Amino acid sequence: MFPVVNNTLLWKILVYFLSVALLSPLISLLLISFGNTHGLWTHLVETVLARYVMNTILLMLGVAALSSVFGIFTAWIIARYRFKFSKVIDLMMLLPAACPAYLVAYAYTDFFEYAGPIQVILRNLMSWSSPSEYFFPEIRSLGGAIFVLSSVLYPYIYLLARTAFRQIPESLLEITSLYNKSSFWKLGLPIARPAIVAGVALVCMEVVSDFGTVEYFSLETLTLGIFNVWIGMNSITAAAQLATFSFIFIIALLILEIKSRYGRRFNDTSRKQRRPEILNLKGTKAFFCCFICLLPVSFGFLIPISILLSNALGGLSWPSILESFVILKNTLLVSFVGSLTVMFIATLCVTVSKITDDKKLQVFSKLSATGYAFPGTILAIGVIITVGYFDKIFLLFDFTNSNSTFYISGSLFVLIFAYLIRFLAVGYGAILSGLEKTSPNLIWASRTLGISFSGTITKITLPLIRPSIIAGGVLVFVDIMKELPMTLLLRPFNFDTLATHTYQFAHDELMSEASLPALMIILAGLVPIIFLNKILRSNYK
Amino acid sequence: MLKFKIPTFFAFLIFFANLAHSAEVNIYSHRQPFLINPFLEAFSNKTGIKTNVVYSTKGLAQRLKAEGKNSPADLILTVDIGRLYIYQDMGLLASISSLKLDKNIPSHLKSIDNTWFGLSKRARIIVTSKERVPVGSIKNIEDLSDPRWKKKICSRPGSHVYNRALLASIIAEHGLDKAEIWAKGLVSNLARRPQGNDRAQVKAIYHGQCDIAIINNYYFGKLKYSEDPDQREWAKSLNLVFPNQAKSERGAHVNISGGGVAKYSKNKVEAILLLEFLTDPTAQKLYGDINFEYPVNPSINASEELKSWGSFKEDKLPIDKIAKLSGEAQKIIDRVGW
Repeated sequence: MFPVVNNTLLWKILVYFLSVALLSPLISLLLISFGNTHGLWTHLVETVLARYVMNTILLMLGVAALSSVFGIFTAWIIARYRFKFSKVIDLMMLLPAACPAYLVAYAYTDFFEYAGPIQVILRNLMSWSSPSEYFFPEIRSLGGAIFVLSSVLYPYIYLLARTAFRQIPESLLEITSLYNKSSFWKLGLPIARPAIVAGVALVCMEVVSDFGTVEYFSLETLTLGIFNVWIGMNSITAAAQLATFSFIFIIALLILEIKSRYGRRFNDTSRKQRRPEILNLKGTKAFFCCFICLLPVSFGFLIPISILLSNALGGLSWPSILESFVILKNTLLVSFVGSLTVMFIATLCVTVSKITDDKKLQVFSKLSATGYAFPGTILAIGVIITVGYFDKIFLLFDFTNSNSTFYISGSLFVLIFAYLIRFLAVGYGAILSGLEKTSPNLIWASRTLGISFSGTITKITLPLIRPSIIAGGVLVFVDIMKELPMTLLLRPFNFDTLATHTYQFAHDELMSEASLPALMIILAGLVPIIFLNKILRSNYK
Repeated sequence: MLKFKIPTFFAFLIFFANLAHSAEVNIYSHRQPFLINPFLEAFSNKTGIKTNVVYSTKGLAQRLKAEGKNSPADLILTVDIGRLYIYQDMGLLASISSLKLDKNIPSHLKSIDNTWFGLSKRARIIVTSKERVPVGSIKNIEDLSDPRWKKKICSRPGSHVYNRALLASIIAEHGLDKAEIWAKGLVSNLARRPQGNDRAQVKAIYHGQCDIAIINNYYFGKLKYSEDPDQREWAKSLNLVFPNQAKSERGAHVNISGGGVAKYSKNKVEAILLLEFLTDPTAQKLYGDINFEYPVNPSINASEELKSWGSFKEDKLPIDKIAKLSGEAQKIIDRVGW
């Protein structure tokens, strides 16, 4: 659909080069996995592999189903109806996106486990005294993990579904009502399906890569297995093999996501289509809608944040507050620089590969964004190895022999590079969807008028996709702020982010010490999310 | 515009990261900063040498290896023998000679090639509910596989380093087959799926979910003196059992926290100074006072608090034997689903 533009060779080479650099950590992992494991693989197949795969699949299916339920119905309500507080609720729907899943898992475990307040109160009320006397669902279980992950991940589906529902033309809605069919089941759901599938694929990738929640719940997924093999059997080779194996899941999800994008590809050049009318609701119906929407918000945000708040108040002291603010500054700095870098590279890769319509380049840059679905620590190892090679290459050019002063290992650069590899997919997706809505005619016109390729990009494309760039940047910003495993391993000396600071306490199950920095992660993530919602809303008007 | 600013920014990042180069020790730590900071502060106050820390539970050995000669790290600190052994196994540690370390650390708690050194000891002990388990009914770690305790035991996952090391010590004593039978018996006695850390097991005993758990001894101290009144109550509900104490028995399994100097350290002198400092009486006492661990230095007595829990005989199995068996232990753990 995009015109083939000449004189773009240099740009293409640049993007090829970038893609290779971004792929190199994944390639390093692949290379490790070719090593000898001395029969470990047989042991894995005989004992735990089936369990790992089964748990991973069940977790993925469960989260996909529950987060769809959370995201789709609420998106329909908000997209189609107006009622008291509907605008506030729309905003609140996104708040769980600021909550890292592992923190929500900590909070819920503390609350719902046998020794937690809920069960203690129950036992006191009913004068039960041992676990055999009653049934209460175990929070540290597959079901618990599905619940926790769905509660924080549904906003991905909600956001995409809401946008799709809002773009349904009024004429189609009129037809469904004319035939007396359900506008949700017969029209909304089919039209929004590609968007929903894309959202579900994103959610599933998050699930595959999750370590914090499954570790805390001792749920033996592939990701947890990778760590058992690596740390327990001292075999990074077998761990890399397991990681490569789980890559199959990632590729499957990626294909799903790409296919769903093809399904919703359109160039909206006419503005004549009437936007659907938003219906007013009052009374019980309005109350019912409020209630439905508030359920997932409560699960993913209101309840966990209340638990954290009550924990934090218990262990509050001035030194701990001051310390948290210093760390907050660090966190904001890396998140800002990281998201800026991600969006810059993502914009470059997507615009060049898309506008030149180079299919190979598109596949290449898409592949380089698969870091998103790798477990963070494993990806971090790929990053370290790659950076180690970079340093060795730099040394080759170091003719002055002052080699002790210039290397990137252990600097903030490594961390930023790691964020780039991990979160490129987020920026990539945002920009791609923005670009697909712009018409290629404009680029044709610009090129026909003799404007250079780079001139066209800066004058035409970038201004058009600016909202997408900002939206993607905000998402990446929040993601980096929540990121734990890579930051933990790759950071420079004496450098803490809120996530790593929280972890050192949470790792020891010291909930009252962990709760304050945990709350700050969430609160600091709220601002960009509210901002993001503003941008997205102004797009419809 | 933006294009030019970003590379400049990175140049700054790299510049600052490599700027500092006065007397200092750069530490890769598997131990949480809030636990090692008191030691490091005492060291800095005494010597004027600055310390810098990166803390991570996982992956630091891989980081050190990948960084190779360019690594800024000088000293590695870990909380168990398994991880120390991995560093040694990957050839990441320097062999150092220090009369002081030789004198302060008994030989079964350090490596033969002088690459790693034990700095404190922790015993893996059994705790039982005061209310529900009669004193004396559990004597040995082997007793935990007795069907009598069906649905009575809580445990953190077997694949955690502390449990893996414990199982390795049982393999060393009884051989692979018997160790597996023991592990299977233990798993069939569990009151709930293995989960949580040692602290969480005690909490479960207090609330009646189970009656017996295996914990590292210092957790008991941490709970007993916790700022949180609830946790102090948990500790009160427990009896401590140092396992395998009879004359014919091997003693309780102990693990070490320890450290070693990085092979390509650029501050070796300072790093060795810090290691030596950690085995000196001041620091050795601090291990007991702050974290309820036992000193490795034979000239130092355990703290009064630790003594009040009772004296015990420790398993003198060379600590690196445990590390070598850890792979086999993990395989058993996978098979029995601990």
